[in-house]
Amino acid sequence: MTSLDVSHLSVNFGDRTVINDLSFTLQAGEIASLLGPSGCGKTTLLRAIAGLLQPREGTIRLGTQLVGLSSVVLPPNKRRTGYVPQQGALFPHLNVAQNIAFGLSKKEFSQAEITKTISEMLALIGMPGYENQMPTELSGGQQTRVALARALAIKPKMVLLDEPFSALDAELRNELRSEVVALLRAQGTTAILVTHDREEALVSSDKVVLMRDGKIAQYGSPEEVYESPISPSVAVSTGDALVLSAHQAKDGSTSYALATLSAPTGAVSTNNGYVVIRPEEISVSKSSAAGVAGTLIQLDYYGHDAMLVVKLSDSSEIIRARVAGPMDFAVGDLVKVEHRGPIRFFANA
Amino acid sequence: MKKSLKALVVATAAVIAASLMTGCSSSEEQVANATELTVYSGRSEEFIAPFFAEWEQSAGIKLNVRYGDSAELAAQILEEGANSPADLFLSQDAGSLGAVAKADLFIELPNDVAESIPATYVAANRNWVGVTGRARVFAYNPDLLKVLPTSVTELGNAAYKGKLGIAPSNASFQAFVTALINAQGADFAQKWLEDLKANDVRIYPKNSAIVEAIDKKEISIGLVNHYYIWEVSEGLGREINVKNGFFKSGDLGNMINVSGAGVLTSSKKYAAAQELINFLTSQKTQDQFVAQTHEYSLIDGAKAPAGLPVLTDIGAPSVDLNALKDIQKTQDLLVKVGLL
Amino acid sequence: MATGVKDGLAHRFSTSRGEPASIHPALLALVGLLLAVVLIPFIYLIIRAFEKPLPEIAQLLLRGKTLEVLGTTTALLAMVVIVNIFLGTLIAAGIHFVRMPRAHLLIVPAVLPLAIPSYVFTYTWLALIPSLSGVFAAAFILILTTLPYMLLAILVSLRRIDSGFIEVARTLGLTRTQIFFRVVLPQIRGSISAGALLSGLYVLSDFGAVSLLNVETLTVSIQNMFKSSYDRGAASVISLLLILASIIFISVDERIKDKKAKENVFKRLSTDDSRIKSASLKTLLISALGIYVTLALFLPIYVLISRFIGNPNPLDISGLASAAISTVTVSALGALIALLFSAPLGFLIATHAGRFSRVSERIILIGHALPGVVIGLALVSLGSKLGPIYQSIFLLAFAYALLFLAKAVASMTFSLQLVPQVLKEVAATLGKSKTKVTTSVVIPIALPSIGLGTLLVFLTAMKELPATLMLRPTGMDTLATQIWSYAAINRFNDAAPYALLLVLIAAIPTFLLSLPWGDWESKADGTKTRVGSLM
Repeated sequence: MTSLDVSHLSVNFGDRTVINDLSFTLQAGEIASLLGPSGCGKTTLLRAIAGLLQPREGTIRLGTQLVGLSSVVLPPNKRRTGYVPQQGALFPHLNVAQNIAFGLSKKEFSQAEITKTISEMLALIGMPGYENQMPTELSGGQQTRVALARALAIKPKMVLLDEPFSALDAELRNELRSEVVALLRAQGTTAILVTHDREEALVSSDKVVLMRDGKIAQYGSPEEVYESPISPSVAVSTGDALVLSAHQAKDGSTSYALATLSAPTGAVSTNNGYVVIRPEEISVSKSSAAGVAGTLIQLDYYGHDAMLVVKLSDSSEIIRARVAGPMDFAVGDLVKVEHRGPIRFFANA
Repeated sequence: MKKSLKALVVATAAVIAASLMTGCSSSEEQVANATELTVYSGRSEEFIAPFFAEWEQSAGIKLNVRYGDSAELAAQILEEGANSPADLFLSQDAGSLGAVAKADLFIELPNDVAESIPATYVAANRNWVGVTGRARVFAYNPDLLKVLPTSVTELGNAAYKGKLGIAPSNASFQAFVTALINAQGADFAQKWLEDLKANDVRIYPKNSAIVEAIDKKEISIGLVNHYYIWEVSEGLGREINVKNGFFKSGDLGNMINVSGAGVLTSSKKYAAAQELINFLTSQKTQDQFVAQTHEYSLIDGAKAPAGLPVLTDIGAPSVDLNALKDIQKTQDLLVKVGLL
Repeated sequence: MATGVKDGLAHRFSTSRGEPASIHPALLALVGLLLAVVLIPFIYLIIRAFEKPLPEIAQLLLRGKTLEVLGTTTALLAMVVIVNIFLGTLIAAGIHFVRMPRAHLLIVPAVLPLAIPSYVFTYTWLALIPSLSGVFAAAFILILTTLPYMLLAILVSLRRIDSGFIEVARTLGLTRTQIFFRVVLPQIRGSISAGALLSGLYVLSDFGAVSLLNVETLTVSIQNMFKSSYDRGAASVISLLLILASIIFISVDERIKDKKAKENVFKRLSTDDSRIKSASLKTLLISALGIYVTLALFLPIYVLISRFIGNPNPLDISGLASAAISTVTVSALGALIALLFSAPLGFLIATHAGRFSRVSERIILIGHALPGVVIGLALVSLGSKLGPIYQSIFLLAFAYALLFLAKAVASMTFSLQLVPQVLKEVAATLGKSKTKVTTSVVIPIALPSIGLGTLLVFLTAMKELPATLMLRPTGMDTLATQIWSYAAINRFNDAAPYALLLVLIAAIPTFLLSLPWGDWESKADGTKTRVGSLM
């Protein structure tokens, strides 16, 4: 398994720049998620890494090997990246065994080795005995698993997964996702997973590459991008977030609808801006004396937790709070709302 | 999948092998002493093949015969030019022979070839010789036509409005128009054709279609060759209600055209080809033509097809068949009048 | 010549923008060479036509007769195409939407008339109605002959319509009639246009039916000029006029075709609700099909069989057998050459959108309207200079390949487009070179469909007559030439066994063509004919 280094990469479709001066690195064995709205260039980045399209500028290195450059490109068949596209894209004319063995050249491997690899891979994906099934006879989840086995069979330098679970229903999707991630970790595989599902990105990866408009908006561990977003919009794209207007005074204290708090460090210049709060950082109580008063106007019950929507009495701000445990709230209740997390202040640009 | 691919490969190989075997047999032989001869025959296989077989037997030479429409074969020979694989061209009509002769693609036949054929039916420079005689007639339905025309020029009269059928694209009709131009001048011929057109003449693709149309009473009279009433009747497998009629003696409508043969300059086998012409013009073969295809033998004093006057009693006009070769002007005229 | 065309087109292409799809120089060279080969008949025609002085050419084009023939041709073309569109849509909709067990098999008898050459068709109908003649009769016969092209084309796209659309339309309160016009029809417009193109080009190049029915179309004029005057110049001028007519027809067809309507390739749900249950409608649709099959299949076959039985002459078994073998051999060889030619051309068109592809496609398509006699004479002219290849089955097979290249290329393009891009990409990332991707992914997936296209060329070649007469090896008879030689002397009874055998042999590939072929993408829905989108 190999590290990945993407440096100053730009990709164009005709006159349109789809990837714009993008750089990031990935250590060997790390799993990264490319997260972003559709059209942000995440699939394009993946295809550039796979060698399926040619960058305009910049370099791509797999380990120490330079594979992509605007002038010279190592073609996809020389890169050994295991590519798993949406819905698997199994070869319809080949059975499961032939699909898995597709990348194993008869020149390099004996028939015995190929047969061994096939059964190893089938064992790995939990589908022994499926050798002779045709792709059309498999369920969606099985197709994805075989596609992964096909990619892993060539002992790839890294695995590239392009929204492999997007066509599956929610339950199967979660199950297969954790299965695949476990499998990739067990193999020590460097991998990139393209997804538009923020939960999937956080749960599956060591690194999250948050993309927007062909650029990296933020890059870091899931905790970093979730807990310390570099902007309100990044915060929104990694999870549910409240964005409240705020003012930072000369002494460093920040005031916003829920509180006025002292800054941990020295004085700064006055600033208008926003604070970003995660709904789970808000506590709601009917009995507490502390906190800001408001009225519960909506309650969405999810079972494991619930989302409470509170309209503050003074400022008329709408606050969402994620609350666990048994509920004794009803719409119309007068409540106190309290913020119990870090202050993430973003000054206006 | 794999099995079917294999089968495909095997089948392809078989096809290629088979085609190689077929392909090789047509390669040209450049020997003086011929063992094979290539004939382009405008005469139908059904009628001529037995004669060819007989000659192959007696001469010990194999014939490769290419059957087709006379005019199309002539066009093909013109297109092939000096590269023509044909040794001999046997045509249904003098016009096609004339076209090939005009392009200087026929050799001059020695005087001892087809000696029995009268000079009337041989090209002036002996480029080709006539093999059988074909009389122009008017075919008519006796139920519909009580008063018979005496001259072909009468057919432009109002009495025949919408009742006459011709086949202007057919070589035999064009040969007749050519003779008309030669005899009476282009203006006369044009007037006659314009009269026909104004008289709502019916156009057919070929002679047999005219005869069938007469039998079906679509029309009552048509300009055809004499043997089509047999051909159509045999094709339909029944008697038809169509008769042959001749115009008054000497009328151009009674013209005798010929089927004929010539040897191509591209041939290396003149001797053998000339031998075949001699066979086709021999008394014995000629008699068989009369009996089987109902054509006229060109030999003086030969018997006529059943029920018809002998060749010399038809009252055929004196037509220089050699002059029929220039059908370009006929073509232009037919185009001009709008019949082609 | 080849280099000129190639360089010119290459230059044009290099200036086109869009996806990074540069054409491999080897492919470009190969395609350029093939296009030059395809252009042989055109070059021949231009040389022959301009042997005539210009005023004569002008006079020939402007004379009343030419305009009259042009009028007849246009009228015939319009009649056949318009009726075909109505009947084809009606019958195809019947086959597709009527709820009946094994309804998809109804296509088989509806397509089988493809096995009958138009001249045999006409002979049999003339036997039934001897007075049949004129432009309406010709339209009638040509509709019977060409309707299967329309049916196949429409059926393929009907089967590609996601019936989810129909269900949505139902829930939005549309009646079934409204659904047909507002949901179904827009989606099959492209196929209707393809079917119209195919049947229209057939009408333009047909000789058999029109000449037997005394209708003078451009093709008949050309043939007459060759035959009656040896005036190859005039015939060539009219041939160029015919080419012009087909260019106009093709561009009109392009205009009508809705380019925005993309066929939905993957998602298909077949539900009972999209089927027709109304008894009267069902009766109408099924009887339309029944009438068609009776007129186009049962009656001709009946006539042939009764002629065959009524023939007192002994059957020439060995003659029949050798004609059949020649027919199959040379047609198969022709189909094979067409397949080889169509591979680079189809590959180019399927994978490189651009002006070069479009120009290539048009050139090939126009060749489709050329009558056999033109290709025949062009190849006589060229071939006779080539020595032993002349009058060998290779030159004849080559002529078939040229004549029916449009069919082969269309089917090749269609087949190659069946292979999703993502599969090629996956194969590339799995270490396969471009060649290997083609051999291990593209060809295996496209092969069944390519095979069907090749079958179609094979079938069409078996029925070909004018070029066969000119180019066959001397002494070789095919079933078609034997039918011709008996029919030329009005021996229809003797022609009957050859015609029957030809129809019988041709019925085998036709049957295979009409079968609903399973699809890789959706095995469950096994009702799909691939060949239909021939254009």
